[in-house]
Amino acid sequence: MNYRLNSTGAIAKRKIFETFISPGFYIALSIGLLLGYFVIGGFVDSIDSSGLNYSLNSIYELIARSLSGAFGETFVIKLFAEGPYLFALFVSFIPFLFYLAISSVFKFGFEKKVGALELITYGPADGTSYFLASFVKDMVFTLIYLMVLLVFFFVSALINNLVLGPMFFYTTVMMIFLSFAFYGYGVVSSVLTDTASSAIALFLGIALFFLIIQMGSFTIVSGYVRNLSTVLAWIIKWISPVFYLDLGMSSIGYGNVPMYLLSMLLLLVLTGGLLLISHLILKVRGVRV
Amino acid sequence: MIVTKDLTKQYGNFIAVDKVNLNIQPGEIYGFLGPNGAGKTSTIMMLLGIISPTSGEIELFGERYTPSRLDLRKRIGVVPEKHPVGMWAWMTAVEYLKFFADMFVVENAEDRIMNLLSQVNLADVANKKISEFSRGMLQKLSIVRALLHDPDILFLDEPISGLDPIGIKQVRDLIISENREGRTIFVSSHLLSEMEKICHRVAIIFRGKLMAEDRMDKLLLKLSRDREIHIDLEEIPEGIVENIRKLDFVIDVSTEKNRLKIKVPKEGDYRKNLSEFLIKRNLIPIQLKERSISLEEAFVTITQDNVEMLAGVGGEA
Repeated sequence: MNYRLNSTGAIAKRKIFETFISPGFYIALSIGLLLGYFVIGGFVDSIDSSGLNYSLNSIYELIARSLSGAFGETFVIKLFAEGPYLFALFVSFIPFLFYLAISSVFKFGFEKKVGALELITYGPADGTSYFLASFVKDMVFTLIYLMVLLVFFFVSALINNLVLGPMFFYTTVMMIFLSFAFYGYGVVSSVLTDTASSAIALFLGIALFFLIIQMGSFTIVSGYVRNLSTVLAWIIKWISPVFYLDLGMSSIGYGNVPMYLLSMLLLLVLTGGLLLISHLILKVRGVRV
Repeated sequence: MIVTKDLTKQYGNFIAVDKVNLNIQPGEIYGFLGPNGAGKTSTIMMLLGIISPTSGEIELFGERYTPSRLDLRKRIGVVPEKHPVGMWAWMTAVEYLKFFADMFVVENAEDRIMNLLSQVNLADVANKKISEFSRGMLQKLSIVRALLHDPDILFLDEPISGLDPIGIKQVRDLIISENREGRTIFVSSHLLSEMEKICHRVAIIFRGKLMAEDRMDKLLLKLSRDREIHIDLEEIPEGIVENIRKLDFVIDVSTEKNRLKIKVPKEGDYRKNLSEFLIKRNLIPIQLKERSISLEEAFVTITQDNVEMLAGVGGEA
């Protein structure tokens, strides 16, 4: 019998049940759907006889200007080429991803601090069983959340006479793998630190760092970043989930499906690597604070 | 059942556990004693596979034990000193125990849970949330959890700490009854009078070193400087104290009401000699008993008075 697998299953089952009956998931889900609703509603309000006109809706105008300033006008045109759903997906999904990752990081730190993690490891389980269970729980709820989003977007598309384009579907699949990698970084942050607050700070720091680096490649400082740290930037991009998201989306833009699939495979490899590193760190550091 | 060979744990330059050799036999209640900071927790954590030794080996059930041996860990039950509520706060006692039963793959879990809860008088609160449990109730629940998967060895860290007298008796009875059923018990506690009541053998660790490991009676004998024989007479005649003092094996004599308190060397049994001496003088001993030192006295002796001298007492240090 694989004891680690069995205990991972038992802990995951309990964590999934716990998340199902707690209000946090439903609050995050509602906020995500509400954000999506506003994005779609704003898009519909911005359409006139000549097509999409951002100036018709003050919030949309602000969003479009901000995005154009950060990533360029081409990016904004691409983002809304199929309608509002690609942007709505980002707006609805990213906060949920962070909610799930941060709540798992917090729980890991809390359980470690109170000794609950140690209690589990007195049995046929170890720290790895716990973080794998937590990871499985995050995977399950990510899939559930994306399914709910899909249904919501599909219904709204029917009502508003809009379509969910292929880019939206490709990106939705990509989001699953992107979230796995982020959860992987959440696990690394948890095992590297002793308290929940320091783990959350580290995780947010890592996520922000990747976002800044990726945004840098779109903006004026991109040349500076690229030239400043040729080797460092090259290393960083391979460990950045955001880089793979960009790679996958760009590949679809060019119609390069193999590259799109490869970017997802690389996200999986990155996630696996992060979990392996976490396992090794836990072996050295243990579960005692 | 558990054998350690030169078990050592070092944190930086500090040696927490220094070449400790333990030998815990199947079916015994083994007491592990030591003051705070003696290396007790580090040793237990290594035995449980929570931390890795710096050097040395642990043999468990005849097999080499490392933290990755989850199959061997399944055969251990652990009752920690403090029971963390953590993720289980909102669960009832039964839900909590089912979670662990799942992890340990316990067959007929529900029956076993209810049976064990009844044994510690917790059956009535089986469906109560454990966040509402008192310290004593949590301690008993922790023991039930540790016994759930029918482990071969049960580790108890301060099992009666914080319990009321009734709770102490219940836990003590449970430990003894589990041991009678053949379960090996490893118990660590600072409540030495309780340890003296239940342990077959004890080990004393101090400053990371194992100072002594022996059967309770042998250890107490080894650690007592002298023996004291108490003899109760109807009355103490004049001059008898001086006469006893003249005996070559007697170190000192004192009296307390109708009791003679005679100190003799710890080697040898002088009870017969003293009885014969008194009978020859037409004095009938109403009661004759040997007062041995308590575990508490032995513990103090070993940890405070004679650290250097006692380094060789146990032989296993």
